[in-house]
Amino acid sequence: MRAFALIARLAWRNLRHRPGQAVMLLLALCLATTTLSLALAVNGAGDRSWERVWRDTNGPHVQSFFGYGAERTPSDATLAKVRADLAALTTAPGVVAASGPWDAMVTTGEVAGDRMDVEVLVRDPAPAAVGQPLLTEGQWLDGGDGVVLEEGLASTMRVRLGDTVTVAGQALPVRGVAMTSTTGRFPMYQPGRIWVNQPTGERIQAGGGVEAFASSVELRLAQPGDAAAFVAAHAPPPPRRGEFFYVGLSTWEQLRDGSHDDLSAFAIALVGIGVLLGLLTIATAAVLVASRMAAQIRQVGTLKAIGVTPGQVTMVLLAEYLTVAGLAAAVGLAAGQMLTPMLAGVSLSLYGSPQAPPVTWERAALVVAVAVAVVLLATVRPALRGARRSTLRSLATSARPPRRSSRVGGLASRLGLPLPVVLGLRSALRRPGRVLANAAGLTLGVAMVVIGLGLDRSVHIFMTEQTPDEVEAPGAEIVAEVVDRLVAVVYAGAGLLLALAAVNAVVVAVFAARDSARNHAILRTVGATPRQTMVAFVVAQLGGCLLACAAGIPLGVLLFNLVADDDLAPIRLTFGTYAAVAVIVPLVYAAIVAVPARLFGSRPVTPSLSYQ
Amino acid sequence: MSGIIETAGLSRFYPGDGAPVRAVDGVDMSVAEGESVSVMGPSGCGKSTLLHLVGGLERPTAGTVTIAGQRVDGLSEAAWARLRRRSVGFVFQAFHLVDELSAVENVELPALLVGTSRRAARRRAMELLERLGVADRATHLPDRLSGGQQQRVALARALVNEPVLVLADEPTGNLDSHATGEILRLFAGLREARQTLLLVTHDPRVAASADRLLTMRDGQIVEDTRLDGGLPRQAVLAQIAGWEA
Repeated sequence: MRAFALIARLAWRNLRHRPGQAVMLLLALCLATTTLSLALAVNGAGDRSWERVWRDTNGPHVQSFFGYGAERTPSDATLAKVRADLAALTTAPGVVAASGPWDAMVTTGEVAGDRMDVEVLVRDPAPAAVGQPLLTEGQWLDGGDGVVLEEGLASTMRVRLGDTVTVAGQALPVRGVAMTSTTGRFPMYQPGRIWVNQPTGERIQAGGGVEAFASSVELRLAQPGDAAAFVAAHAPPPPRRGEFFYVGLSTWEQLRDGSHDDLSAFAIALVGIGVLLGLLTIATAAVLVASRMAAQIRQVGTLKAIGVTPGQVTMVLLAEYLTVAGLAAAVGLAAGQMLTPMLAGVSLSLYGSPQAPPVTWERAALVVAVAVAVVLLATVRPALRGARRSTLRSLATSARPPRRSSRVGGLASRLGLPLPVVLGLRSALRRPGRVLANAAGLTLGVAMVVIGLGLDRSVHIFMTEQTPDEVEAPGAEIVAEVVDRLVAVVYAGAGLLLALAAVNAVVVAVFAARDSARNHAILRTVGATPRQTMVAFVVAQLGGCLLACAAGIPLGVLLFNLVADDDLAPIRLTFGTYAAVAVIVPLVYAAIVAVPARLFGSRPVTPSLSYQ
Repeated sequence: MSGIIETAGLSRFYPGDGAPVRAVDGVDMSVAEGESVSVMGPSGCGKSTLLHLVGGLERPTAGTVTIAGQRVDGLSEAAWARLRRRSVGFVFQAFHLVDELSAVENVELPALLVGTSRRAARRRAMELLERLGVADRATHLPDRLSGGQQQRVALARALVNEPVLVLADEPTGNLDSHATGEILRLFAGLREARQTLLLVTHDPRVAASADRLLTMRDGQIVEDTRLDGGLPRQAVLAQIAGWEA
């Protein structure tokens, strides 16, 4: 108990004495946890919206759907068989309520002056036991000519009650507007949906021009959890060779998941960004911890000298960073909750105002687990290494000196290069571990640059490859706006990744400069100018950056292609672009590392000589 | 006659809880060329700060510093660096060798900085290491050298450009008596080469090896004693021993 109190006290004191490091780690972690939390919550917001309509309409647990094209009508026998099978489902074991079969057809209509394909659904004026559309305006069908429009179609096309829509040449007054959970909302899901009564449906069919026919039944089960088993048990046989029709069953979960594809795309993008942010945060945290251990090695030695065990020393650091991780998880969850309605608000597929789903234990555990994993991965190894170092050695020195002289380092001086360059090369070659650590921290940053460039190119290609039909489809402008917003989210994420990569580079540079401050101060006591020490430092750091480019460019390509799919083609960058990355990134990094080196160089020598 | 080092009203204050801490407070000092001067006083009296101010490692709050007739207290960091590489050699208690460079690379560094060819700088560095008895450790990194060996390497580095001024801050503080004796013999060699030595120390034996003893207290020089025939050295040592008691 006492040991825990000591660990807690030391951890708390360290946090108070080094707020800058803690805040930097907290910010980086918060970016990752917020993005992940947002990704998980955004999908939930879509689910929640759909479930609200589903409950209010007494939506189906299972929907069976049958459809075929007007030009390839199945044989009468097949039609009769499939219809009979469909009807039989309404009395299948486990079904407690059913509606349908409901006939439907796809034909051409004119809504608010725009010609478009519409799905005309024939329904009873009497309310259905299952899946009765939920009116938001006007009235449901009666014996007359009126139609009811799906809410997304009415609002997108700005159709009001009493307006007229034309279907198959027949002008029909709009009597009502309704929501449903059995299809997606227009314009994300097309064609737009119009409900009509039986006589109107027959007139539309008689008017010709029908492109496809469909029929569906909607079933409520005794146990919603049995939906998947029911679907598996009643899966229809596939059409025989030469027959062209579709028949299938969907569970309510499948209907729900398919109701907000735009939000799902947001969520997938955010998960990808969150994972990459997490990886970058590991790199940033690893640099923070490793540099901290190097700087604090004497303190570690003192703790061990007074009887604190290596395990307890490690625990102090872990306790400190786990506190930060816990805080970051809490901030991430809270920020995710707050931002979800804003992000989900851009969706075209949701009915009503989106709400963030309540924080579940699973979501909280996942976000906490990611934050803790980031901290553990970054902390344990350097902390253990520092703690296991001999007490006497820890007390005797500050930073870990190089173990051996390097022949390659000696060779550097024979190349006739300027002295600062030689000093920088020697420093890099004699501390390969430090170079590799810096390279590891920067590699993900370089990968992010490649991914950002690849994304820009792929999005450009994706946008320009849209077919004219898609662009001119009704509501296409709004869909394009959602695509734009999705692209904006992806760009914002890529921007965050680049920003974090830049922060990571700055952290690497600052700690490397601090690590080298003592040696550079010594160089100045023997006559090296601040500019010379700066050049030596930049040269020493460039080795890690070049290694990072060598590893980061292929890593970026690999990561990009891992998430590439039908919409996002594999990375398409020219060799020149990769070469530019390999040249520009080291130049930018050199400019970044020169800043702290110059700052340290402009300070008087004495404080740096005594720096711990 | 003007000295190689002249200070006038030299002060260095640090921010304190209330009033500023006067680490060095209005020091007027003159050290002649070829002279060997030790500075003693209780811990925290400002000895090291005075040395750092003279060598440009710290900036004075007030006052002037002149080295070889040149006002140096207002020099930029770069100008100080150029002055140090030719004219000032430093020796520290903590040795302050560049831990990424071998012993010989540390020693040749100031020579390379003034533009000496690589071959000549290496030859000069090896000569000095030979003279100081650490030539066999020339290719070793500082981490692999004993304290005495590191201090001899540091001294070789301070002497490689034959500076007019050597500033030594507790050069024997981390050494045993044998190594201390070796360092004192090397300092004696400076006098023969007409190089000026300003030496801060706690060790009466080291202090007594100089021509002159400056005694500091509370940031000020309270006594300036010639040790080459004026006061008996034993009296000085008794006085010094009194501080330590």
